Amino acid sequence: MKTFAETDIVDAVVIGSGAGGAPLAAELARNGKTVVVLEAGPAFTAMGHTPDEIAARELYWLHERLSAGTNPQAFGGNNSGTGLGGSLLHYGAFMPRMDARDFHLHTETGKGVDWPFGLEELLPYIERVESFIGVSGPASYPWDPNRRYAYPPPPANSAALKMREGCDALGLRHADGPAALITRDVEQPHFGTRHGCANCGACHQGCRNGAKSGADNTWLPMAVAHGAELRPGCFAHTIERDSAGRVTGVVYRQNGVEHRQKCATLVLAAGAVETPRLLLTNDLANSSGQVGQNYMTHVSTQVWGEFDEDIRPNRGYPSLTITEDMMRPKDADFVGGYLIQSLGMMPATWGQNLARSTTTRGPAFARALAGYNRSAGMGINGECLPRPENRVTLSNEKDAFGLPKPLIEHSYGPNEWAMHNHAASLLSRMWEAIGAKDIRVIDRAAHMIGTCRMGTDAGSNVVNPEGRSFDIDNLWISDHSIFPSAAAANPALAIMALSLRTADAMLKA
Amino acid sequence: MSPPPDRPEILDSDHLSARTRDILTSRLSAPETHPRTLSLQAYAVLDALLPVLLPLDEILPPGTDINMTARIDAALSGPRDGWRFADLPPDAKAWEAALLTLDDVAAEQHGIRFIHLAPDLRGTLLDALMAGQIGLDRDGRLTPPQIKRWAGDLRGEVVDCVMSDPRIQQALGISSSLTGGDTVFQGFTEVGPDSREDFEPKATAPLAQMADSRE
Ligand SMILES: Cc1cc2nc3c(=O)[nH]c(=O)nc-3n(C[C@H](O)[C@H](O)[C@H](O)COP(=O)(O)OP(=O)(O)OC[C@H]3O[C@@H](n4cnc5c(N)ncnc54)[C@H](O)[C@@H]3O)c2cc1C
Ligand code: SF4
Repeated sequence: MKTFAETDIVDAVVIGSGAGGAPLAAELARNGKTVVVLEAGPAFTAMGHTPDEIAARELYWLHERLSAGTNPQAFGGNNSGTGLGGSLLHYGAFMPRMDARDFHLHTETGKGVDWPFGLEELLPYIERVESFIGVSGPASYPWDPNRRYAYPPPPANSAALKMREGCDALGLRHADGPAALITRDVEQPHFGTRHGCANCGACHQGCRNGAKSGADNTWLPMAVAHGAELRPGCFAHTIERDSAGRVTGVVYRQNGVEHRQKCATLVLAAGAVETPRLLLTNDLANSSGQVGQNYMTHVSTQVWGEFDEDIRPNRGYPSLTITEDMMRPKDADFVGGYLIQSLGMMPATWGQNLARSTTTRGPAFARALAGYNRSAGMGINGECLPRPENRVTLSNEKDAFGLPKPLIEHSYGPNEWAMHNHAASLLSRMWEAIGAKDIRVIDRAAHMIGTCRMGTDAGSNVVNPEGRSFDIDNLWISDHSIFPSAAAANPALAIMALSLRTADAMLKA
Repeated sequence: MSPPPDRPEILDSDHLSARTRDILTSRLSAPETHPRTLSLQAYAVLDALLPVLLPLDEILPPGTDINMTARIDAALSGPRDGWRFADLPPDAKAWEAALLTLDDVAAEQHGIRFIHLAPDLRGTLLDALMAGQIGLDRDGRLTPPQIKRWAGDLRGEVVDCVMSDPRIQQALGISSSLTGGDTVFQGFTEVGPDSREDFEPKATAPLAQMADSRE
């Protein structure tokens, strides 16, 4: 790997190496730019990952976050990640595309926010991402028959098969969902051999054979091959500027020692909590007052049931079956829509959900946990509207670096509750129709979205439609924080596509 | 060193990586010193609370003790998972305060300490705690809304401890640790219903045998 001196003025420093940072770093390097990626977390090796859920917490962002509001998120295994590859190290690899209607929710419904462009603008980037990282999917996708996937789907596990039955019982269409994993061995350019999915089921604990398409086995090796330097274990905290207010460099801590890297442009890709925290602690790029505002999640209601069969929910790719039939349900009393996906799960994660959503105790609690091997789930991923009370701010508490811990306030509004209730009822009926017992609804939200919104108006957005700060022309943001609306689709594909698009804009700037 | 008598078979599977085997094996022995985090008083309350919250006698073989109290107490001083509810103090403090609140409420309501209460009265207090009906508004204690929040943390921590224990995994027939070894990463060939592979454990717990008995 090429390295740079701290006194070199590199073309770009990228803070964060996940879905937002890695594609852009690769693209800039590929086009001859000098790039340094600062990543707070370590460099993991795939074979070193462990399915043990407690030990696998090493993949989570571990600087304490404070969770508040009427629906405070229980982060834990739902928290963002850390390490070269970011949250893609422990994400679920479910890879649907954003629905074209979700780009224009406000125009459609008068609620929420429109994106400054439509699907047609993002689609070429989406297709590039899919083809470069490797995505599996069905031969024909019911909601978009022209779409093609390079790899056939992995085998359907018990939950996926059960969800198919549930859909059939209620007349819903279903398919194998798009999954960011490969189902045969390939030579990944600049990386080496990636093996086909072994159906191990531990995607959320880190994929051990390179089957899951992350940044660590795709974009980051490409970035290095083109001369980018990756610096793991580097926590960036101070953004330096000249008298004109332009960024000149970043101060970061590595092994307890402060370092400074000079740069001509800075890209924040630290995720929707750390990016606004960096801007707020440095008091930067906030003339709109919108940094940290418009925090959103996905409504991620789950419904679990117990079956007579031996289900073994830890086996197989966890969430294969999808239906997009609820993207605009006819009987909806909410705007936007949701995707439904089947859920297998590892035992502690499953038990946590059960424990936090019920108050059973004694032998009944033991019996519920003993039902693990007979359990199958379904979960949704649904639109969440921005609300003024949902935001990331700086708390009064300091972390180990002496920086204020982030406070994340999250409360459902009427739209989220209506969607949750709709899904809880529908998914319960699906399970009932095929004989599931002990049906359990889990009310939960997932993902961290918004907080540095992109849009055309500098007064109400942090970055322009290409990801560039309205206030500082050599500051760009490329991560989940720039989403104007949550949209129903699981986000990683759109984050990576936007990342490539922002890289294009930087190259033209 | 001879292996502990209740060494679960899954630990000897070649579908386990060396790292995962080490992690699971370390859970077989109780932490050497305890309490490590909590005061003696709070530790005793936790110890009296856990069997009421989650009895394991119908899951584990007779005489097996997974040392839940000591392990949870130790875990509270170890690496945490990166978040907490904003309306609770940091984890170790919150646990101490919650458990002492429970002890004080027991003394107020029944005139004796929590550990001396009969199991059904301990259970009733635990129900009240989870419903946010008890709590104390004074320093070093938790208010009813706080203690209700903490009840979620308590339940979550207990489940983490239980479901990550190799003896529990063995007893419930859970194969989640057996994703693959170091030289061969086997994964699973069978992933559909009623298709346990030979290397996967069969449930031995009385509570979990229903599914396996159908094979
Ligand atoms: C459990 C889980 C399952 C998921 N499953 C799916 C799924 O199936 N499909 C899907 O599409 N999406 C999924 N997601 C969501 C998806 O993974 C994230 O939305 C996405 O990866 C976020 O990308 P990002 O670039 O915004 O941030 P991240 O990927 O989180 O990257 C941010 C990086 O910045 C680093 N960083 C932060 N602060 C600093 C600093 N100050 N200095 C240096 N480095 C810093 C972090 O360590 C991290 O590596 C899942 C998320 C989680 C948590
Ligand atoms: S199920 Fe497949 S993609 Fe997921 S971690 Fe296992 S091998 Fe990797």
